[in-house]
Amino acid sequence: MKKRLRIHDLILLVMRISVYQLLFATVLSTIAFAKKSDAQEIFKQKISLDVKQQTVASILLQIEQLVDVKFIYISSLVSSSRTVNMQVKDQPLGKVLDDLLTPLKLNYQLSGRQIILNRLRGPAEGFMAVRISGIVSDDKGVPLPGVSVKLKGSTTGATTDATGSYSFNIPEYTGTLVFSYVGFNTKEVEINGKNIINVVMELSSTSLNDVVVVGYGAQKKESLTGAIASVNSTDIGSIHAGGTVSAGLAGKIAGVSFRLSDGRPGASASIQIRNMGNPLYVIDGIQQDEGQFNNIAPNDIESITVLKDASAAIYGLRAANGVVVVTTKRGKLGSRNTINVNMYRGWQNWTRFPKTTNAYEWMLGKADAEMNQYGHTAITPDEIEKWKKGTDPGYKSFDWYKFIVKKNAPLTQMNLNFSGGSDRINYYVSATHLKQYSVLGREFTFERTNIQSNVEARVSDNFKIGAQINGRIETRDQPGVPGGDDYWEARFAILRNTPIERPYANDNPAYPNDIGHNNENWALQNKKLSGYWRSDWRVLQTNLTTEYQFPLKGLTARGLFSYYYANEIMNGHEYTYDVYTFNPSDSTYKITGGSSNPYRERRNRTILSPTVQVQLNYNRVFGAHTVGATVVAERIKRRDLSSYVHSVPTTNDLPLIYFSTMDTYNDVDNTEARLGYIGRVNYNYANKYFLEVSARRDASWKFSPDKRWGTFPAISGGWRITEEKFIQSLIGHNVLSDLKLRASYGKLGDDDVGIGAYDYLSGYNYNASTVILDGKAVIGSSNKGVPVRNISWFISKTLDIGADFGILHNKVTGTVDYFNRKRTGLLGAKYDILVPSELGYSLPSENVNSDQVSGAEASLAYAVKVNDVRFNIGGNISYARAKSLHTYKPVYNNSLDHYRNSVEERYSNTFWGYEVSGQFQSQEQINNYKVNIDGSGNKTLLPGDLIYKDQNNDGIINDLDQRPIGYGTGKNPFINFGINLAVSWHGFDARADFSGGSGYSFNRNYELRNPYQNGGNLLADIYKDRWHREDPFDLNSKWIPGKYPALRFNNGGHSNYGNNSTFWLIHVHYLRARTLELGYTIPKNILSKAKIEKARFYINGYNLFSLDNMHHVGIDAEIVDDNGLTYPQSKYVNVGFELSF
Amino acid sequence: MRKHILIISSLLIFILACNKDSDFLNTAPKDILTDDAVWKSEDLTLSVLADLYNRYPEQQTITNWAEYTNFDEAFPSEAGNYWRTKQVDYPYDWWNLWDYGYFRDLNLFVKKCRAAEQLSADVRNRFVSEARFLRAALYFEEVKRMGGVPLILEPMEYNFSGDPAYLQHARAKESDIYDFVIAEMDTIKAILPDDAGIKSRATKGVALAMQARAALYAASIAKYGASTPTVSLAGGEVGISADKSTAYYTKALAAAQEIISSGKYSLYKKKTDDLQDNFASLFYDKSNNPEVIFAQDFKLKSGKVEDWTLNNQPWSSAEEQQGGRVNPSLNLAQLYEKLDNTYSPFVTNAGSDYVYYNNPLDIFAGRDARLGGTIILPGTKFKGVPLDIWAGVMYWKGGQYNIITGDNFGDQDSIPVAGAPKSSQVVGADGPVDGLQFSAQTGFYVRKFMDQTVGSGQIGTRSEVWWVRYRYAEVLLNAAEAAFELGQNDVAATYINQVRERAGFTIPLTTVTFDRIVHERRVELAFEGHELFDNKRWRLAHKIWNGETISAADLVTNIGKADKVNTMIYGLWPYKVYNPGNANDGKWVYKIVKPSNVTAAHRFKLGNYYSQIGSDILSNNPKLIKNPNQ
Repeated sequence: MKKRLRIHDLILLVMRISVYQLLFATVLSTIAFAKKSDAQEIFKQKISLDVKQQTVASILLQIEQLVDVKFIYISSLVSSSRTVNMQVKDQPLGKVLDDLLTPLKLNYQLSGRQIILNRLRGPAEGFMAVRISGIVSDDKGVPLPGVSVKLKGSTTGATTDATGSYSFNIPEYTGTLVFSYVGFNTKEVEINGKNIINVVMELSSTSLNDVVVVGYGAQKKESLTGAIASVNSTDIGSIHAGGTVSAGLAGKIAGVSFRLSDGRPGASASIQIRNMGNPLYVIDGIQQDEGQFNNIAPNDIESITVLKDASAAIYGLRAANGVVVVTTKRGKLGSRNTINVNMYRGWQNWTRFPKTTNAYEWMLGKADAEMNQYGHTAITPDEIEKWKKGTDPGYKSFDWYKFIVKKNAPLTQMNLNFSGGSDRINYYVSATHLKQYSVLGREFTFERTNIQSNVEARVSDNFKIGAQINGRIETRDQPGVPGGDDYWEARFAILRNTPIERPYANDNPAYPNDIGHNNENWALQNKKLSGYWRSDWRVLQTNLTTEYQFPLKGLTARGLFSYYYANEIMNGHEYTYDVYTFNPSDSTYKITGGSSNPYRERRNRTILSPTVQVQLNYNRVFGAHTVGATVVAERIKRRDLSSYVHSVPTTNDLPLIYFSTMDTYNDVDNTEARLGYIGRVNYNYANKYFLEVSARRDASWKFSPDKRWGTFPAISGGWRITEEKFIQSLIGHNVLSDLKLRASYGKLGDDDVGIGAYDYLSGYNYNASTVILDGKAVIGSSNKGVPVRNISWFISKTLDIGADFGILHNKVTGTVDYFNRKRTGLLGAKYDILVPSELGYSLPSENVNSDQVSGAEASLAYAVKVNDVRFNIGGNISYARAKSLHTYKPVYNNSLDHYRNSVEERYSNTFWGYEVSGQFQSQEQINNYKVNIDGSGNKTLLPGDLIYKDQNNDGIINDLDQRPIGYGTGKNPFINFGINLAVSWHGFDARADFSGGSGYSFNRNYELRNPYQNGGNLLADIYKDRWHREDPFDLNSKWIPGKYPALRFNNGGHSNYGNNSTFWLIHVHYLRARTLELGYTIPKNILSKAKIEKARFYINGYNLFSLDNMHHVGIDAEIVDDNGLTYPQSKYVNVGFELSF
Repeated sequence: MRKHILIISSLLIFILACNKDSDFLNTAPKDILTDDAVWKSEDLTLSVLADLYNRYPEQQTITNWAEYTNFDEAFPSEAGNYWRTKQVDYPYDWWNLWDYGYFRDLNLFVKKCRAAEQLSADVRNRFVSEARFLRAALYFEEVKRMGGVPLILEPMEYNFSGDPAYLQHARAKESDIYDFVIAEMDTIKAILPDDAGIKSRATKGVALAMQARAALYAASIAKYGASTPTVSLAGGEVGISADKSTAYYTKALAAAQEIISSGKYSLYKKKTDDLQDNFASLFYDKSNNPEVIFAQDFKLKSGKVEDWTLNNQPWSSAEEQQGGRVNPSLNLAQLYEKLDNTYSPFVTNAGSDYVYYNNPLDIFAGRDARLGGTIILPGTKFKGVPLDIWAGVMYWKGGQYNIITGDNFGDQDSIPVAGAPKSSQVVGADGPVDGLQFSAQTGFYVRKFMDQTVGSGQIGTRSEVWWVRYRYAEVLLNAAEAAFELGQNDVAATYINQVRERAGFTIPLTTVTFDRIVHERRVELAFEGHELFDNKRWRLAHKIWNGETISAADLVTNIGKADKVNTMIYGLWPYKVYNPGNANDGKWVYKIVKPSNVTAAHRFKLGNYYSQIGSDILSNNPKLIKNPNQ
């Protein structure tokens, strides 16, 4: 047998490798801390001494015993007669030696584990005579490790340690110290004879954006030439909105449209960059799917960067809709070990759900409706009275909403992470657990456990290796309910079930009631009766990186191997159950129905995706010229295997699937392959003029072999006007601190052009059908059809013109952008050549159509500190709307066809319907009305019914009278905005984030439009504000006007309800409070006794209120389903704490 | 260290270099068969053929139940389909079919299989003949719906020259298509297996059966088309000249007689002690069924199952919370004769009073066994569960009958009569409740093709009862009709009486009339997809569905007349009498009821005889002409 490396082995191998990597790195770091094998570590060791009147020699001897070092010196250096006092507690060795030896004019030097003492020489040759030290902290008093401290004009300097302290020798106590740290304003302090200089650094208003992650690298913000925006860990970390990353991005980034249309536990939002379509996600350098993006633990994210324009072109064939780049956290070299604990617990309640009527209202409305429709009703006023009273047996109202929706569904998230680093190794290791319950009972849950382990090690001075491992287990667990979506029936039930139906026969919880449509009987929708459904995703992504610094300065090579493994196991079992009818005459419960449809399913899906990247970077500064170049080769494979099994089990009790009861087995195995070669060159002159040129040559397996390759070039440039002398003299740095104009243009690709992977092949699709021939099941194969070999990339060209500016010492910063993306070569049919339908196939589509998305966005941030109060205010707004440009030689049969169906130069997503010009006020008006509204001579109309505008004046309302009356429904808003506020004062901090949207429509339909849809419940709003007669039982009584037309029972075909019109369409606008948070950080001086670095407590609300125009309908502004039955978003109230040790 | 770097970088370079870009990008599809693979393997060729079988064209079948409710056989008892009984005019484009994609695949199969040298000649010939059978079946279906269509027997390919004129073919004459079908059957019947045991693939038997049916269609269009002269086109694309009818009838009779005389098929008579049951089991008994000639088969646990039973199971025995969709009409039910060969409506009244029945089933007694074999009647059982069909309680109060009923299956209420129990059932557990979907809104459920097996009504299991496309009784009726039209009345009677005898009639018909022919097909072949096309070929459709409202009184007159107006569906509802102390207490009475959702009288216009050719199809080929009267 030939031994081959199978994929399983490979996974194991990769896992093993990564585990070893991790072990190796951990061991290394442990050793490093244990042995303190290098100079810095040795001098950092803390010792305590308490000696009086002892000789220096004997003190040195004691130190030798405390620390594993050996002092070597000529005995004459240390006078045996000189005694000193020394009292130090937990001081670094370096400091102790300084204190001890400096007065003796002795210098020391480490060699291996030996410390050699020498006589201090004169201050020549850079000799450092005096020592300066201090502590650097931020404005909250939190020490900042890793701050670079330098003596201005020299190379002398140090970096702060984990306690924020630094010390180094300088020639004399004069000059200036320069403190610099990423994310903080650089600070210069005159020494002025002091030997201790403590510094408080201020956050720079450009915040942590100083370095921005871009495609295959990172750039300083000031040198960016593309439309690139990012959010950082603080922003992401303070959102407690449930499971997914996308759900927290509302209003955070200009140009990102957002809609969270379904709010169930673990739900994610639809986010699009500039409404261009689904973006590409890149996580730690690896192209990934949306699911992986959404389910990273938010705590582990360092930054999310959005490439909105041609800067995305570097990602080539999937980047046409923009790219979201995620970087996870890393430990910092030379920082102390920090343990962080973050935990919060929250309570969720639905924002809104349509309100329904009680039994009395329901019956009265039904009588009303029947009188309106038929002129008679079987319902009597007596009955109505009994329902109103609601006490007689059989006349009690039931509130299904209360029965189904439980208040305050809990969610909890815990995160524990360790980070730190020596000068060789840094690490970030984190574990997060989230459990989220649903308001639908407590059996609908979402649970996720994430681990993230990022370790980097500098193996030698010019060679670095690293491993980023992230893994998760993601579980959706819920009762198994008939129908595709287990969450559906519960919501449907609230509107489908009437208040005169009851869940239990005779209200006895042992007997679920037969209500005729028992799928909606919530009494059954639980794991005990209905069954279960559970999906577990287990995911492991391992990236192994190496980086080599060539001897040629500025040239590095980078290699990356990534293996993504994801596995889903889904198990579902729907049980059989009985429902009962109570017979009051003999008080028995009779089984009158139920489900006898046992349904057992299992899916096992595995995704295997290796990525290999080899990269060369060159970065070098020659005087005022900065040159950078990047070359990358990348290969990505993705294999998606799944099998699905269905059986009809004979009992509810046996969960295993047996061959004899199995009736479906589906097996799928698809592989995608993409590869690309990338080149990019940057140039900047004096940080003033910037130019970047990039190109990527990509290929996708999807196209026919001769159509596979595409080249995606991009160019961008920037000009920092404020660096020009004349501008500085004209305006002055204080007013306009920074202004950069930039423009970019590029060609991007998308292999998702609307064809299947193997459309270029001819042949037969196996397993197209199952056919029973001669009693045997024969698998059928269908002709694939004529191969499509002419399709290739469509061309997406993006132009962006923008400016970044800072005003008043960068206290106010902002960005504006205009963009336009045109796509040509979209798939479309060539209609000018009409081939007979008898040909048997239609001509394949070709790359002939075009469209565009254009718009603008702006963001502004203002940071100010007044006394002890710090304010940060930011806002952004964006507009992005799609439009179809040209189709191939469109043909119209007539002018109406042209008007109605042309898409030439028209905005996409328009909604067509009738214009309602009013409502009939009286029967007389109906009788005299000339236009046939309902298609039956207005015989079905009543006062209050809708009057449609007869647009073409032909006396009848039909399709010809439809006009564009709204925007797209179910789409992301084309106007998006966000407002972020933060205030802090001493230990207190507060923040408020708002986001909003506009430019989309909601079409009320079905349950939200038709009274008694399916014979179910009636919307309270429609009941309360309807046209009705004063006495419902008297056809001659007076009409009382209302907002809604007079009721009809389940008559969706009526002209009021069967037509889309302006009456039922809502142009949605909303502004919604996202995060509202109040936090308190316990002062450091209290904490230090407990050895706690930081402790912060907070209370946090999410989605607490929304200002919008959907209130009266009782639905959330972001839902999509036109029947209002979407699982709405929840309001969250969370309390939590963060601790650092 | 440098060594390591060298090793690692060379490793990476190796990984990248070890296969070429083009190799990396070529990922072989795992579910696509190439031509090379297919045509050398008998199994894979059969796989392609199987899919062609799967696309067999039909209009009404048990797998699209709602189509049965367009006319007068049944009412759609599902809320989403009530529009069918509220629609007056049949749209001109209903039932249109222009499936040249299927033709192309069939032509490709014929062409490629003929050239498949690696298959044995026998296998190859059988496969090719089967594909020709399917192609003829598709042309037959096309001509039934559209009239003459372009007759294309080779796969065409567009050469991207910009001039597609060479692909444009005009419509053939309607008779040309029938001639093609008839001729093809003559050719392939000799090649196909002559084996009555094969039901799901083409055989000599089904070739002859199709030939007989096609010839009969052509003959009757030639004969009766004369009565609708405007339903024709000058070029013969629609309409067949009357002088051709005799030849077609002769061909039809000959083909039918070839089957009959072969002796390979016979009427199903396994359960002669219960003729109703016998008739019902003819459709689900798949073991050695002598009557079934060609069927679409299903099989449990294969993924190929059908949901007729799931869709139509009576509520009381339903295995899911659904069923009862197809409710046979009273219009159909009353067509089943009394056993003395006479027509009679069901007797509901005697003068001004009701007729009281001890048992709900009594009103149906003494009739054609096919009534109970086709329709589930009140008072019978399904899957061992007694049907509970009754519309309400008629209680005597104030010198008259009053009705109390419920609005859900088996609702309980208190009958407002002193001494009545506090609560009792006031409506059947199967309905009828007017407007309540899945309830027997006509008072009937359908029985034909229903599966008695436990689980057949479960979504997860469903049924493996087959869909019978050709059976021997139809062959007999085809023979009878052809013989009748050729003036051989005795021969016609012989054949028709065989079918009637199986239905329990003991008095043979001596003379056959056109009304009898039409009637016999309606009752024998109900729910088998013949209704529309029979009425079209006899040019009866515009008469019986003429858009005129019919009353209950209209309904019960002229039963058995071929051109009786039948535009609206009626039902027959049982009521339970509550009149303690009276002799009639507990007995059953019946009312003729029109379900509220039947609001329109169907209208079949002359333009409906041949379905509309889509405007896109017409504009794609200027040589095509429109169908008449549209």
